[in-house]
Amino acid sequence: MNDHKYIIDLHDINKSYPGVVPLHVLKDVSLGIEKGELVSIMGASGSGKSTLLNILGILDNYDSGEYHLDGVLIKNLSENRAADLRNYMIGFVFQSFNLIGYKNALDNVALPLFYRGISRKKRNALAMEQLERMGMADRATHLPSELSGGQKQRVAIARALITNPSILLADEPTGALDSHTSREVMQVFRDLNAEGRTIVIVTHDPAVGEQTNRIIRISDGRIVE
Amino acid sequence: MIDLFNEILATLRFNKLRTALTGFAVSWGIFLLIVLLAVSNGLVNGVTGMFSQRDKEVMSITGGWAQKPYKGLKDERSITLKESDTELLESRNGNIVAYAVPELSNDSVVISTQKDYLTGGYKGVYPQSQRSDGTTMEEGRYINDNDIEQGRRVIVLHRENANTLFGVGEPAVGKFVRVGDLSFTVVGIYFHEWMRSSIIPYTTAKALAGGSENIRRMQVKAKGLSTVEDANEAENEFRSTLGNVHSFDPTDDSALWIWNRFRDFATTNTALSTLTLAVWIIGLLTLLSGIVGVSNIMFVSVRERTHEIGVRRAIGARPVAILRQIILESVAITTLFGYVGIVLGVIVTQLIAHFTLSPGPQGHPPIFKDPSVDLSIALQVTVVLVITGCLAGLFPALKSLKIKPVEALRDE
Repeated sequence: MNDHKYIIDLHDINKSYPGVVPLHVLKDVSLGIEKGELVSIMGASGSGKSTLLNILGILDNYDSGEYHLDGVLIKNLSENRAADLRNYMIGFVFQSFNLIGYKNALDNVALPLFYRGISRKKRNALAMEQLERMGMADRATHLPSELSGGQKQRVAIARALITNPSILLADEPTGALDSHTSREVMQVFRDLNAEGRTIVIVTHDPAVGEQTNRIIRISDGRIVE
Repeated sequence: MIDLFNEILATLRFNKLRTALTGFAVSWGIFLLIVLLAVSNGLVNGVTGMFSQRDKEVMSITGGWAQKPYKGLKDERSITLKESDTELLESRNGNIVAYAVPELSNDSVVISTQKDYLTGGYKGVYPQSQRSDGTTMEEGRYINDNDIEQGRRVIVLHRENANTLFGVGEPAVGKFVRVGDLSFTVVGIYFHEWMRSSIIPYTTAKALAGGSENIRRMQVKAKGLSTVEDANEAENEFRSTLGNVHSFDPTDDSALWIWNRFRDFATTNTALSTLTLAVWIIGLLTLLSGIVGVSNIMFVSVRERTHEIGVRRAIGARPVAILRQIILESVAITTLFGYVGIVLGVIVTQLIAHFTLSPGPQGHPPIFKDPSVDLSIALQVTVVLVITGCLAGLFPALKSLKIKPVEALRDE
């Protein structure tokens, strides 16, 4: 087991995509993020930032190195194990919200618990609790198409939090929002961080990066500072 | 389970039109399958119903013309069966003969009342002939053992003939008819699909024929027949036994005319099961086009929902959960619309039964009977629906497994 100080602990991660000319996307990336940090990962497009996010979120494999998430080695996992770890340890917030269009806000928030096999009654109660925390209780029965961008992102954050994950991973969470709503959503992240949540935000927007406690810059597949 | 069902309902509601269009193909396939099965069932019921009121292992043996020279005898000899031949068969071939009874007939005698007359003559029988002929008694009784013993002058008439002689709706049992110059008491009225003979006791007929031992034919009930081969074997043994007595070549098929109901029964059974098989094949092939439609719609659905499936995977759905959902959706579409087809099929079947197959006043042969869909067919069709639904969903579901959770991060 690695250093317990870090909730996210990357050690010499390499990742390349096969092809006629293999593309070496991540080069010996080592990174430690402590519990309770609010971190942003910034980089230009093509810098390897998305690949890093995929690996952090257990959405993709890496070639060499070691990644420990909350003390668990994330390597060569079966599809089922990866799905379970994502369900239990990671809360995702996406740029385009990724709410399911034909489910209302409550059902969307409750969905991760559905895949845990939790009863409908219990998951709806938990989902309602999360919506209340996001100030969205009165929109519980609305479909995503009936919500504004900021409201959708709040629902998405509620969905990410319902499993009480180890980390919150946000991919350009304000990318689809206007500047006013962006600030509101960032305030939500800061409040959650104040409650002790570990949050990693991947962004190319300096204004978002500024509002986090630490900025990790990635360029050409390497961490630059 | 309820949750899974809700998930499925939600996705189906989301794709209403497409679901309905594909569903129609499935409904149509099942509808045809049900109607075809019901009609063939009606046919099967009708035919087996006809067999059920008859002894199946009956052979009727009539003397014919020997065509082959035998032991110095020339060809073209008439073979006439004797009453004693029945006892001979019972004793020599006791292992395969349950009983053998003689029948006599006189085709020229006129049967009359004051109202009308019949020219068909009469047939003299033993009580056993009722089961071998397959007559059903509508009123009164058939010839019984006392009639045989005492040579009573009693007669059993076909319903139509009774109507001719006494008028429709007029009581006939207990009345008298004249058979030639003699007076007979009507003791029963029977129904039969095509046989119209007027039936009297064998012993009475024999006395009327001057006590001759010659008989028209005999009804032999065999036992222990289970295959067509058994039946043919029994026929050969009868030919051999009777050939010995009447001096004809046992291989001379024309010497005896043997009508073998068991062979008919077995052949008909084979034909009916072939019919049922053919109906299933036709129905299933029709259903196939519906199934391909469902498979197609599921493929489209999986492709359209690539992003959604990616999101589900990203938030922790195991691959098998996605697989199960796709397959169950497919089963849901198939069974839902399948049942629409079943209901329509049953309605149409009932209409067919009601309008075209209602029995006529003097019933035709009930070749169609109860053309209905019984519970076992409903169950079989349900099994078919679930299996085909699974098959239709299988390939789209396998395709959905290839969707990686990374899809969730791709922008639409």
